[in-house]
Amino acid sequence: MNFTLHIWRQKNAAAKGKFETYKVHDISPDCSFLEMLDILNEQLIHDKIAHPVCFDNDCREGICGMCGLYINGRPHGNDDGVTTCQLHMRKFRDGDEIWIEPWRAKAFPVICDLVVDRSAFDKIIQAGGYISVTTGGVPDANCIPIPKDVADRAMDAAECIGCGACVAACKNASAMLFVGAKVAHLSLLPQGQPEARQRVKKMVMKMDELGFGSCTNILACEAECPKQIKRQNIARLNRQFIASLFDGNRRDDD
Amino acid sequence: MAHERIVRIHSISKKLLVGLFASFLVVFLFFHMSANLLILLHDDGAAYTAFCHFMGTNPLVKVAEVALFGSFFIHIVLASYLWLCNRRKRPVGYHKRSRTRTAAASKLAMITGSLLLICLVFHFYDFYLVKMNVVEGLYMVKLEELNNSDINEDAIWTADEEGEYKEFTETGLRWFEITSKTNSDVWLNNLTKEDTEILQQVYRNINTEPDFYHMAHEKFTKWHIVLCYLLFFALVGIHIRHGFESLFQTFGLNNRRYAPVIKWCGIIYTWIICLGFSTVTLGVFFGL
Ligand code: HEM
Ligand code: FES
Repeated sequence: MNFTLHIWRQKNAAAKGKFETYKVHDISPDCSFLEMLDILNEQLIHDKIAHPVCFDNDCREGICGMCGLYINGRPHGNDDGVTTCQLHMRKFRDGDEIWIEPWRAKAFPVICDLVVDRSAFDKIIQAGGYISVTTGGVPDANCIPIPKDVADRAMDAAECIGCGACVAACKNASAMLFVGAKVAHLSLLPQGQPEARQRVKKMVMKMDELGFGSCTNILACEAECPKQIKRQNIARLNRQFIASLFDGNRRDDD
Repeated sequence: MAHERIVRIHSISKKLLVGLFASFLVVFLFFHMSANLLILLHDDGAAYTAFCHFMGTNPLVKVAEVALFGSFFIHIVLASYLWLCNRRKRPVGYHKRSRTRTAAASKLAMITGSLLLICLVFHFYDFYLVKMNVVEGLYMVKLEELNNSDINEDAIWTADEEGEYKEFTETGLRWFEITSKTNSDVWLNNLTKEDTEILQQVYRNINTEPDFYHMAHEKFTKWHIVLCYLLFFALVGIHIRHGFESLFQTFGLNNRRYAPVIKWCGIIYTWIICLGFSTVTLGVFFGL
């Protein structure tokens, strides 16, 4: 398969970027999108045309959340429930023009080419996305009973890999689906409940501070999430946020 | 710091306020639509006129009216403010247009909202500003009031050129008839501004009220006005189709079990509102 690629090139955060056009030939339909970019980079190095294109990746099996490209108007490209590394070239037609852009959001500044700084997500987690426990002897497996149904829902929310596609897809660059998923998987389980009220406030406050937009329920995030995290997690976040406003125990205030 | 705490409003709180005031609007819209249906009763407007009289004179309604305008104002200002803030969260946009599959009504909420605002201005011009005495419309006055008020003996009462106005001077029947205009047992209605001015010269201290029943009939017999109103209702429908579901999501009342119920309630509510308003408008147009 042959493709024409329009790729966003930007030397560093301060530089002004622009699109460059490259052609790739004889790409196998079974090639993943990142492998296709690898082939392009080898070509760029071999032919001494340009610096290789920078893009983030790590696991290449859809679990680390590092890879994230805005491909032809969709985060992670034209397939549902997959990350960019799991997107295959057979999803395109031979001869297609492909526009590849980095995530665009105030909170995710571009570092180089297609790589963006997603440490804002880490900061949100640091603000409250944890549980405080005394480490020590390992407790018995069944000493805290958790209904299967609840465990399943917590597990579904915990699938979030923090790739940032929700922010990239959202017209408002809102991180509500990410924060909703993180708040959900912690607060659904008994270990996460004691800190639930403070957690939601701290994480929302951090999210606002870092320059994410506010949700207007367009639900592009849900449509593009590679892990198919559901909108109900945003509703739960809102619910817990409202509850936190009426919480008498405002330990997080000082 | 303490002062920061007071002024800092979480993004979710702002959204909650947009939704809270929108929820008043959603309730209001239903009542407005239901009341309008009275126009279609075959009673020469008796029920609707009685309703308008109640709405125009009851002091509690006045309070509700202020609350309603406040809700509109806050909803619009806050929603626009949120929209402006959100636009700044992506300083560099995408080159390719988004191809994410989302509901158009949701993506376009700000656009349908802004168009609604324009429609509302015209709608106000058509009806509400008459009540505020800014725009001329049609008026009505209670016959009982005419009967009980003093006749101004000094008033010089002349018939107009066409001789339309006739004075009833018989003692005991101290009201006059304006020929060719409709009368009910209770109201002298369908009066122009000029009519009311003449009336006020003859009868001291009478209160005229806007005659919305006849105003609706006057407006909705013109096809272009009917068409504009149908577009207005369609816009309301599109805005509400997003708004209804969005409201539950914003207040955290959505979960996997409720989601389909909320969705269907939203669809049914939207159709009831759209069809209700349209039925009245078309009903008047076709003289049903
Ligand atoms: C007929 C009157 C109106 C009704 C019944 C109404 C109702 C609603 C409802 C229920 C929502 C969803 C709120 C939420 O998600 O929490 C909404 C959202 C919105 N409304 Fe209205 N609205 C009306 C008029 C307007 C007008 C005149 C504007 C003009 C600017 C406007 C702008 C918006 C915007 C931008 C949103 C999206 C905000 C968001 O989802 O966060 N609305 N409206
Ligand atoms: S590289 Fe790890 S999810 Fe794509």
